[in-house]
Amino acid sequence: MTAVEAPCQRAPATRKTRFCFLLLWSAALAAFPVAANERPGPQWQVGLAEFALAAGRAEEALVRIGETRGDAASWVRARALLATGQVEAAKRRLEQQLTADSHRGDAALVLGQMATQSGDDRGAREYFNTASRLGFGNTRQRALYELSMLDMADGKPDAAGQVLAGMEPGYWAALGYANLAAHFSKQDLNASRPLVALRVALAMSEQDVVSDRSNSLRSQLLVRAAYLSFQQEDYDKAIGFLEQVPLDSYYTPRALYLHGLSLDARDNYRGAMQSWHRAKKYPLAYPGVEDSWLGMGRGYDLSGYLGQAGEAYLAASASYESERATLRELASRIREEGAWKALVNDARGTDAQWFLADSRTLAQPRLAYLMRFMESGEAQRKVNRVAELVRLDQILASREQSLTVFRRSLSDLSSVPVATAVDEQQRLNARLEQLKVRAMEMQQRMAGASSSGAELKVVATMLAGVGRGLGSLESRLEGRTPHLSGLERRIDAALSRLQSLRGRAQQLRISAEQQLNDEAIAFVSRQDERMVLALDKAEQRIAHLYEYLALESIERGAQ
Amino acid sequence: MVAHPLIAFVLMLTAPLIAAAELDTEIDRLKADVAELASDLYELEEAFLHPADTQVAVFLTLARSDALTLDSIELSVNDTPVASHFYSERELRSLQQGGVQQLFIGNVPVGEHRLKAVLTARTANDRYVRREVAHRFQKEPGEFRIQLSVDARAPEYEPQIGFAEWK
Repeated sequence: MTAVEAPCQRAPATRKTRFCFLLLWSAALAAFPVAANERPGPQWQVGLAEFALAAGRAEEALVRIGETRGDAASWVRARALLATGQVEAAKRRLEQQLTADSHRGDAALVLGQMATQSGDDRGAREYFNTASRLGFGNTRQRALYELSMLDMADGKPDAAGQVLAGMEPGYWAALGYANLAAHFSKQDLNASRPLVALRVALAMSEQDVVSDRSNSLRSQLLVRAAYLSFQQEDYDKAIGFLEQVPLDSYYTPRALYLHGLSLDARDNYRGAMQSWHRAKKYPLAYPGVEDSWLGMGRGYDLSGYLGQAGEAYLAASASYESERATLRELASRIREEGAWKALVNDARGTDAQWFLADSRTLAQPRLAYLMRFMESGEAQRKVNRVAELVRLDQILASREQSLTVFRRSLSDLSSVPVATAVDEQQRLNARLEQLKVRAMEMQQRMAGASSSGAELKVVATMLAGVGRGLGSLESRLEGRTPHLSGLERRIDAALSRLQSLRGRAQQLRISAEQQLNDEAIAFVSRQDERMVLALDKAEQRIAHLYEYLALESIERGAQ
Repeated sequence: MVAHPLIAFVLMLTAPLIAAAELDTEIDRLKADVAELASDLYELEEAFLHPADTQVAVFLTLARSDALTLDSIELSVNDTPVASHFYSERELRSLQQGGVQQLFIGNVPVGEHRLKAVLTARTANDRYVRREVAHRFQKEPGEFRIQLSVDARAPEYEPQIGFAEWK
């Protein structure tokens, strides 16, 4: 039902034309396909709360849902409580949801995740079993995946495999098989079981409907499979896996390095150097890139170009030195400005604009370090804490600002004398009476014209509404001062609460940022150690090469 | 007094863990207090910033879940832009599952007004569309709500916006 706008003529604002316009508009109103509905029911509140929750405004979702009853309302309330940190209350609601008519599986899944976080594996297993029994679709698959993780943690990979075998192909099954492969890799000396699991994971990931997620997981699985094949000296298989990794993936640098290594193992030094040359274009933060720099020297060396090999090792050495300077700069900025600004915020805002964000963003050194840093679960938790506190502070700051403006305008309103409004009321009453008389005259003139009856009724209703408003103005004016004073007191109290909460948020942010800084400094230090090791290797290669050249020279001299 | 070296070692190992767990609990407490304050402020705003006599609220819903992927919407009242929104994937999913978005809440005087909505979306037959619709309404004393219901039917998937009013 699409509304079509009625033609609207702009006319000089005289009273007569305004009245005519009103009549014309009233006539046009009847032509509009507009439904006059009943007041919305509880489902409307649930819908509003659902959207607020999806938009990341859990506080608003709680307000919207209020005391609304029903299973759907209860499910929204439980999630909003959880998102606003009211864990115990959320847990009680979720337990109740288990006996409701809807979202039983979803509730069990969330309860299972909460139990896992608190280290209660037995409780988690029960909830995940319930979720897999009562849930469907993504919920059921996630629950089965979690059950397989619990089996693996208990050292029962066969039981985990059985659970995974019962899953539908897709993301969660692929992730489960990838973890099973990792588990087998730790246990087995032979790579065949992990490789089989990875092949199944690859097949499962093809059924993932979320393309970005599927592509990312697939690239990771291909690199892992290639690494295992390489370890088994099955270089063709490794190359086959690596050539399927897309060039814009996060795993591309390490895929290129491994590709070069596999070609090198088959004595194809030229091909290997081509892959390493491409890997070199990525920041040194990514695994495999520092070895690709060294690989170039090795490739020239094995191909018999000793002079170029020396240059390649020197270039590698210089790039590691330069990277160490970058890391020192990053560490000093973390100490001065904190990791949140130096590593997280500023890295996101580096040169590339969001609309240019493509594989080029992979080549930003600071972003590369941020992505490497965020690979760790502990780093994710620490960044998440600070991000949450920053978000809370922003909410509180915005509320404080609008309340302060409101408070000021209330003070202005309080200073307007009541007498002005009383004078205005008398003038408006006189105008209202005039309009009523005109409307009555028009009604008498148009008596019998049924088409105008409805329009005049609308006018009469409006005039009656205005009359009621003006009639109650005096009594409302009497209550204005106490009403405004009460309002001012409520706003002052809210402002005071806001300031206290902002103080708490800032204190907590200091602690959270300190923990993040420690983690980031340790990470940067580890990266520096990696560069030191690479630098050491490059220098050793240079020393060996010069030693060889010197011996050659002596031998040639002796002949 | 010097503690036993083993106890000191255990304390050293557990100290950061406890601090992190305490921090999480404190953050949860803060979030709960912020939610409580937000609830009080919401009531205050509803009652005083948008008094019932002049209040008008505009909502958006999707009539069917798979016909349209909304990209953005802009809303004007009497040719003054009052709201605009870009949709995230989660928000779209919520609308498709029956979510209701409050696009605008504000104050307008009693009388006639014009609401205009401009929406951009991708249709199920993979067309990118921009549609502009207008709606006139009569504001009377008391709460006033307008629901924009977006629909698109096969085979053309031409976006249709219906308006429903209630008081």
